[in-house]
Amino acid sequence: MKQIYNLAILAFIIAGCTSQDKDQTWQLSETIALEGVNPIGIAASDNGIWLSDGDHNRVVLIDDNGKTLKVIDSLDRPMHIATEGNEIIIPQYGNDEVIRFRESAKTVITTKDSLDAPAGVDVRGNEIAIADFYNNKIHYSSNGTDWMTFGKEGKADGDFYYPTDVQITENEIWVADAYNNRVQSFTKNGTHIRTVGVDQDLNAATGIFVTENEIFVTDFENNRIVVFDMAGRFKQEIKDGISKPTDVLVRENKLYVTNYKGSNLTAYTLKEALDVIPEEEHDHDDHEH
Amino acid sequence: MKTTMITLVIALFTTMGMQAQKAMDQFEIQVDGLGCPFCAYGLEKKFKEFKGIKKVAIDIETGDFSFQYPAEKALTMDDITKQVEKAGYTPITSKITRANGSVETSKANNTELSATSEIVTQKILVAGKCGMCEARIEKASNGILGVTEASWKEEQNMLEVTFDKSQTTLDAIQKAVAQAGHDTKAHKATKQAYKDLPACCKYQRLQ
Repeated sequence: MKQIYNLAILAFIIAGCTSQDKDQTWQLSETIALEGVNPIGIAASDNGIWLSDGDHNRVVLIDDNGKTLKVIDSLDRPMHIATEGNEIIIPQYGNDEVIRFRESAKTVITTKDSLDAPAGVDVRGNEIAIADFYNNKIHYSSNGTDWMTFGKEGKADGDFYYPTDVQITENEIWVADAYNNRVQSFTKNGTHIRTVGVDQDLNAATGIFVTENEIFVTDFENNRIVVFDMAGRFKQEIKDGISKPTDVLVRENKLYVTNYKGSNLTAYTLKEALDVIPEEEHDHDDHEH
Repeated sequence: MKTTMITLVIALFTTMGMQAQKAMDQFEIQVDGLGCPFCAYGLEKKFKEFKGIKKVAIDIETGDFSFQYPAEKALTMDDITKQVEKAGYTPITSKITRANGSVETSKANNTELSATSEIVTQKILVAGKCGMCEARIEKASNGILGVTEASWKEEQNMLEVTFDKSQTTLDAIQKAVAQAGHDTKAHKATKQAYKDLPACCKYQRLQ
């Protein structure tokens, strides 16, 4: 009787594990057309989603249907933007300025060292980080006033080869090390912690977004998003609807991808993964035993 | 008297301004491989740094790149081709409208066939990884006298080239492609040629 009881418990545990392990994956839920916008950067605000449109030297605020609500124009190649409260922070690749817009008031962020093509910015409270494309550096300030930099051109851990995006999380600074085809994370003192994505044959890791559980990377030339767990292990490849992706964002349980060539925004939600017959079973009859 | 002097000064400055405006050459270049915005904006940015350059404009979608440059500096077609290539891009066609109204245009392919021509089409392995690589590889091939057509496919890393055997050889084509920075089976790019490629073109070297 005890054995039957134990077997029942075991079966229950296995069933539980199976349903839990039937992992959810990000699946395409909608495509939002963006008329006349070639999006590069994306950031969320209470009023909608901000997109940078570098080709047309502007940023646009859109609603969930892609309708333009607001435009800030006369910029010089705005790239990976950020938001903080009512502010939008815009790195301008063309004139080496990073600016903060609140309502219509504009202020320029002054760094200690000069910038050469700021490609990405992130703000978290008083903290600011800037990806400095041609200088192969990250500029970081914990208080918005005092700055430090880290990184140099190269391929070793801690080096960069044209960084394009940056994100500040609670304890780390994450960098899309675009043309080293990888993501790196650092302490807030600039000490290298980990490198992610080197085994995935990325071809220009142009944009990143990091949540508590996952790291999302755009693989620009390969037209896909690659998802990793926090240890840097591969989780999922997303290809549906992707066309030259430049940036990613998770907002209200939706994953958004800016498709530069597709001139659209694709959204993905977590759904139960479709059952896939393992490759071995496919090939079973072809093997000689 | 004072009014006359002011009028003369204004007229002088206006004339000088007009002359300065007239003394600019107009450059229009069709650039291929502008798929990556980071590199494309980089091209624009780097050209903006040239002393005296004006009206730099780049249309990412069409690949049209244009600017004005002081005529006195007599920038040549070769200069501009080299400069665009130095920035990592491949000029497909170029047109210079000089300040004096004369027009110069570049030609992508100068091959002329004759009765003794022996046309063959062959495929060769050429390493690359993006649209900019494609433009560069095809430009290097098309630049050889004897080549009539060249098409490189990113997915296969294969160059299909049609050429006149009486004018050139497959080895010469591979050499030219390697000089442009791309490894072929017969010839490897030099370290410097590979280093000079833009970031997004850094392909995996052939062993």
